[in-house]
Amino acid sequence: MVTLNVNGVRHQVQASDDTPLLYVLRNDLQLIGPQFGCGLAQCGACSVLAEGREVRSCVMPVSAFANQEITTLEGLPARWAKQKGLSPEAAKSALHPVQEAWIEQQTPHCGFCQNGMMIKATELLESNPNPTVAEIKEAFTTSGPSPHLCRCGTYKAILEAVQHAATIMTQRS
Amino acid sequence: MATTSPGHANVTGPTLSRRDFIRTGGVLVVGFSFIGTKALKADAGRPAAMKNTLDPTLPGSWIEIHPDNTLLIRTGKSDFGQSTTFTAYRQIVADELSVPFEAITTVVAGDTDSTPDGSGAFDFLGEGMPNIRKAAAYTYQALLDLASERLGVPKDKLSVKDGIVSGGGRTISYGDLVKDQQLKLTIPVSGDLTSIMGLTIEGNPPMKPVSQYSVIGKSFKNSIISSKVAAKTTWATDVRLPGMLHARMVHPKTLGSTLVSAGTLDKTKFPNSQLIVKGNLVGVVAPTEWEAIQASEQVASGTKWTEWKGLPGNEKLHEHLRHQADWTSTPVAKGDANKGDAAAALAAAQKRLSATYQFSYMKHAPIGPTMALADVKPDGTVHIYTHNQNPQALRGEIAMMLRTTPEHVIVHVYPGPGHYGRSNGGNAGAEDEAVLLSQALGKPVRVHWTRADDMKWSTQSPAAFSDVQLAVDEKGKLAAYQIDHYMPAMQDDRPIGAVLAGLPTMQAPQPKGDFVSSTVNGISDPWIYAQTPNVMELGHGTFQVGQQASPLAVGLRDHSMRTPGQFQQNYPRELAINEAAALAGADAIQFRIDHASEERVIGVLKAVRDASGWETRPSPRPDAVATGSTPVRGRGVSVMLRSRTYWACVCEIAVTPATGAVVVEKYTIAVDPGIVVNPMQLKRQVEGGAMMGVSHALFEEATFDESGITTSDWISYPIPTMSDMPEINVVLLNNPKVGTYGGGSEAANALAAPAIAAALHDATGRILRRLPLKPAYVQAMLKT
Ligand code: FES
Ligand code: FES
Repeated sequence: MVTLNVNGVRHQVQASDDTPLLYVLRNDLQLIGPQFGCGLAQCGACSVLAEGREVRSCVMPVSAFANQEITTLEGLPARWAKQKGLSPEAAKSALHPVQEAWIEQQTPHCGFCQNGMMIKATELLESNPNPTVAEIKEAFTTSGPSPHLCRCGTYKAILEAVQHAATIMTQRS
Repeated sequence: MATTSPGHANVTGPTLSRRDFIRTGGVLVVGFSFIGTKALKADAGRPAAMKNTLDPTLPGSWIEIHPDNTLLIRTGKSDFGQSTTFTAYRQIVADELSVPFEAITTVVAGDTDSTPDGSGAFDFLGEGMPNIRKAAAYTYQALLDLASERLGVPKDKLSVKDGIVSGGGRTISYGDLVKDQQLKLTIPVSGDLTSIMGLTIEGNPPMKPVSQYSVIGKSFKNSIISSKVAAKTTWATDVRLPGMLHARMVHPKTLGSTLVSAGTLDKTKFPNSQLIVKGNLVGVVAPTEWEAIQASEQVASGTKWTEWKGLPGNEKLHEHLRHQADWTSTPVAKGDANKGDAAAALAAAQKRLSATYQFSYMKHAPIGPTMALADVKPDGTVHIYTHNQNPQALRGEIAMMLRTTPEHVIVHVYPGPGHYGRSNGGNAGAEDEAVLLSQALGKPVRVHWTRADDMKWSTQSPAAFSDVQLAVDEKGKLAAYQIDHYMPAMQDDRPIGAVLAGLPTMQAPQPKGDFVSSTVNGISDPWIYAQTPNVMELGHGTFQVGQQASPLAVGLRDHSMRTPGQFQQNYPRELAINEAAALAGADAIQFRIDHASEERVIGVLKAVRDASGWETRPSPRPDAVATGSTPVRGRGVSVMLRSRTYWACVCEIAVTPATGAVVVEKYTIAVDPGIVVNPMQLKRQVEGGAMMGVSHALFEEATFDESGITTSDWISYPIPTMSDMPEINVVLLNNPKVGTYGGGSEAANALAAPAIAAALHDATGRILRRLPLKPAYVQAMLKT
């Protein structure tokens, strides 16, 4: 039995301690934003934020997250609402600026990798609101356990969406 | 996927043949009302494959008009990020029917029991005439007939705007027209629903003139992107059924191994797991995913397989293809553009080039491995929940495996990771295994392949080589061109689980196979240098490597991948044309322009020349150098005509001779598809394709030893990261006078390779004729 704090909600889960967090999120908590891409910490499809840091849920055991605040793709709007002190009403309809930018820029193709891309973008923009192109490339390539891979080749659209999100976030701060 | 039609058979009965359609004046009269899918599924008297699916002859199977003037459209084509079904299809229907884009509120795609036409997720725009366009055009005429009757105004005196018909001073909405009414229309179709090409709408209904388009040409957003970004989409990976079990497969040790004995499941550790063995198919199921993973690993460690070493290994691949492969059993394919006497002209020429170009195996390598959920009901009905590019063909394959008929198989399609053609002939990889495990247990079973399963047990894009001989005359013109393309069979759609279990499948590729399973290597790269007097293009085919030697008849199974076949043929041609230009001392773009006749070929070349800031001069550059640790720069060009869309690109690279590292710095690409349906979506498709092109050219090679594929993950099969991205500039050439639409999801991925290899020549003066251009190969070649 493990207690998890995901997207601001506490959950008691039955899974054994060594179960990778990804399976708990997807199968026990029905949080389907993170996807299984490799199970090897090589691609980033399974990324979530733990204490604001991007981690690979496919390889990390659920027990490692006992006292951590986890945010999945589903939790990005609420995370933004909390950071901005939005009213519950406003929070309901809002997406995170990163998600808005991803739509505005029509970034995903198949979209299977984009959970990790949006999680990475959120991590980056929370610490660096105005990243340069080099900093964005660095974030998606060398900052994490592995580069964030997109087989559909949407890197240009991702880069433009990060820049777009940075603009929205600056405007609203 | 190739767009050639394999000779359609009429499966919907004599009343629906094109001839009858024309004889009855364009409209066959049947009762019809827009009352939902149940009425569209009247199965009596229809062939098995046509049961439990929508009647394609009824317009409501394609387009449903609701009383509030909103519309629903249905297509057998599923989306893997191309966006076409959610954007271009809506735009096309909106313009044909004169309704706003937003009026089309729902797109139903893929599911075999709720779409009419089948076919694979390729060639969405059907060379400008997708089924949905004709369905809309027919429906429009039927609506006008109905309105004419209602308003008492002749058809040609009616006008339509935003779904409201006006005439004689009165108006009526489509919604009101069809309410409790009968549309008098039967849509003529031909084809085989569960084949790779699916059904095609026949006849020639009047089309909206291009000049009247108001929705096509605008950058509408893709509705499924919003839903995916907000985590609101149900992906195939998300589907769960009550009582469902998780499974992992224990695939054989080699591509030719048979099972000696399955490992014993340790019930003390995994009390809820079960081991299923059927022939050489071994799977482990458990109520939780983590238990299934651990239990399968435990079983795998104790499972014994026979040894097999029937493959040449990738080091010896090209030697094997050249000397051991059987190129004589398969008829040689001849190019449509063959003319003159290439052999005589070559013999007479002074300046000649004779060279071989080599192409490696590549993986489709979806970012998520394949998975499927199957539920075999007690009455034998099979439900499959999967991400699949050709669900109707999958029905046929599963029915064949189970020795039943397709109406008992229902495929539900959900979004999944793009796999670029791998399932366009039916199966994505795990569906058949899920069905067999579900059948054995009487419960829904979800099979998820591991990353390694997906690399080692899926099909691959075939390796190939081409021999080119060409001659340049004293005026610097191409006097003769001969190319011999050699490629093993490209389309093996046998479900691997069925093969392992020893159950019926379609035949392995062979010389006498049909359109899909034949070993014939057709010429698929249209010749565009029309001013060349002597041309000879030949295609040589053979069995898949290891196919005949493997006790499983498996070997290196191949499958079409994004720009299939044409990639393998365009790369040698375009690189050779760059070499021909160098031989002639000519600029590589001007040389192409001088040999082309078609305005659109010349148009894309000029556009890419202008946009890239190309300096007109011969290659290699005057200061080309093949040594040193300072990066040297070069540029190269390539051209392709694919499905009536014209493409040209310029790649600018930097190569460090001492290390062999190649970096693509700038990639300019011009595309003339005819009518640009949605500029934003097309641009994004081209950018993604360009990035994959860099990947194919520089990074991708599926390695294998004598027993099987040795690439197993993203370390052994690297693809580019964001840092490998060049500056990408896309030039869209909207060309409405062409009158048809062209797609943008293919070609861009293939164009880069010859342009990059040409750029390497420009920079260093050396021609490298093998892909991929990995540092070790480049370094070694520059040293010699
Ligand atoms: S699935 Fe976790 S990094 Fe690939
Ligand atoms: S959008 Fe398909 S893998 Fe990234």
